[in-house]
Amino acid sequence: MTGTVFDIGYRSYTGGREGRARGRRAVFKDGVRTALGLGRGARAKILPWIFIGVLSAIALVMAMVAGAVDRIAGPGGARQMELPSHGDYYGIAASLVFVFGAIVAPELLCRDRREGVINLYLVRPLTGSDYVVSRWSAFFVVMLASVWLPQFILFAGLCGGDAEPVTYFLAHWLDIPRFLLAGLAMTLFVTSLALLTASFTTRRAYAAVFLVGLFVISTPFTVGLSEEIGGKAGQWISMFTLSNIPVHVNDVIFGEVSELTEDAPARLLPPAVLVGWYLAWTLIPAVVLWWRYRRLTP
Amino acid sequence: MQPGAQPLLAAEHLTKEYRNVVALNDVSFNIFDGITGILGENGAGKSTAIKIFMGLMRPTSGSAKVLGEDAFASVDVRSRLGYMPEHDCLPSQVSAAEFLTHMAEVSGLPPGAARTRAADTLRHTGLFEERYRAIGGYSTGMKQRVKLGQALVHDPAFVFLDEPTAGLDPLGREEMLTLIRKTHREFGISVLLSSHLMADVERTCDRIIVLQGGRVVHSGEVGQFTKETERVFIEVDSNREGLIVSLERRGVVVTPEGTGLTIEGSDESVYDQVRDALVESQAPLRRLAPRRRALTELFERESA
Repeated sequence: MTGTVFDIGYRSYTGGREGRARGRRAVFKDGVRTALGLGRGARAKILPWIFIGVLSAIALVMAMVAGAVDRIAGPGGARQMELPSHGDYYGIAASLVFVFGAIVAPELLCRDRREGVINLYLVRPLTGSDYVVSRWSAFFVVMLASVWLPQFILFAGLCGGDAEPVTYFLAHWLDIPRFLLAGLAMTLFVTSLALLTASFTTRRAYAAVFLVGLFVISTPFTVGLSEEIGGKAGQWISMFTLSNIPVHVNDVIFGEVSELTEDAPARLLPPAVLVGWYLAWTLIPAVVLWWRYRRLTP
Repeated sequence: MQPGAQPLLAAEHLTKEYRNVVALNDVSFNIFDGITGILGENGAGKSTAIKIFMGLMRPTSGSAKVLGEDAFASVDVRSRLGYMPEHDCLPSQVSAAEFLTHMAEVSGLPPGAARTRAADTLRHTGLFEERYRAIGGYSTGMKQRVKLGQALVHDPAFVFLDEPTAGLDPLGREEMLTLIRKTHREFGISVLLSSHLMADVERTCDRIIVLQGGRVVHSGEVGQFTKETERVFIEVDSNREGLIVSLERRGVVVTPEGTGLTIEGSDESVYDQVRDALVESQAPLRRLAPRRRALTELFERESA
């Protein structure tokens, strides 16, 4: 059978135009794909999926250990031994979450400015605020899913591993809103700080190294200084351990001190101070980020 | 100017000042359906005018209207505008198909329509076969086509092209100019072509606006502008002085240039007078050719 290819020429678009709302959704969707390396080469997928895998693996190991202890020590053994659980997870995984943010967040902002793609966004029915809010939301959603998923794995593992799953569920179901809220707090903090840092450079490596350096250096420096000075001043210096800031909020939510913060002098400060400090470190970077992009023109 | 027609772009007493620099100085012009060239040297105000029309910059005074709407006040009007920047603006990691689909969505098209439009646009810009390759591996000419494609993918009513032939070899440049002509003649999209290359504007545009130092120094049909700016270059083997005397006797303004002469204008009467002067002076002719003024010379002439 033979066929003929007809050139039907140029066809004008006569369908609907959905304006700024569609534009914002498109930038959001592209941000999610960029963060996860979807539609990009294999190299772009490696890091985000390794982080998600390792974060989930930590939760899986925690669940397996609890299950194994229950098997060996009998029902309730894990609870009696006070093995790490939901309240401890974000403390254990905090460093990994920060490194994840530091490495993946710059992908969403630096490359667009470095390659000039931002100029094409800003000449479309989209403002600088639309662009940055969409990008922020995209990274926020990816981070949130990445920190919530392991907690669900842990909960399912602890539930399934317990000799009496239903009893376990009924006794611990309140952990679900707690870890959802604590994960939200962790994600808001990392997203705002990481994207603000990325907004100051077009080089992803600079942003990533600066952020990782900030988290790594701030910990021994503030811990050493706060121990040396002690007292109230030491508690305030301890507040500058950046990786602890959202974990203190996690502790407030769970009503117990996690393994990461059990030696931090700042844990003794009133919860309102800890939450206020966290909000300052989350909201100020978010507002500065928005302000920087609001004024952006090609 | 087209009597009775509604201008697509309208500038009225448009002024833009940056601290101590006046980028646009009380500029007024209308742009209608067709291909309009905006010609000027670097710093003439071309990019400032485009940014004001794209609504990215507020004018210091005056008004800029695009498709009947205030350019700065309306963000939504940009869904019917396209822009091809001069500088690099393409992502290296994604394919042309994915990029154009994304850009169509950002311009407000639903996802299904965006995919269809991206495929159509890639076909019209000659990139259909290469559409799934990462843009980072494209040649300069192909990248220019992607840049044009992203400006057209959402089927705008008007498209701004900023130095579209920059960095292209002669063949690539010719292909790009053909695509630009096709953009209006076949796709029905009006074009504002910003360039500092007079030849590009002359070969592509219907009308021209010449900017210098933030002011409009010429505005009109390209044919008229071409006629006004052409001159004739003559080179003879000997007796150049005799030829000059003979030409001046006929009222022709002659300017010595290197080993030859230039004469203002290029209509047929000039050639008749040159022929007669050559016969009279017995100067052996080596070369006789129309020659275009350099852009800088034109600006000096317009200023004078």
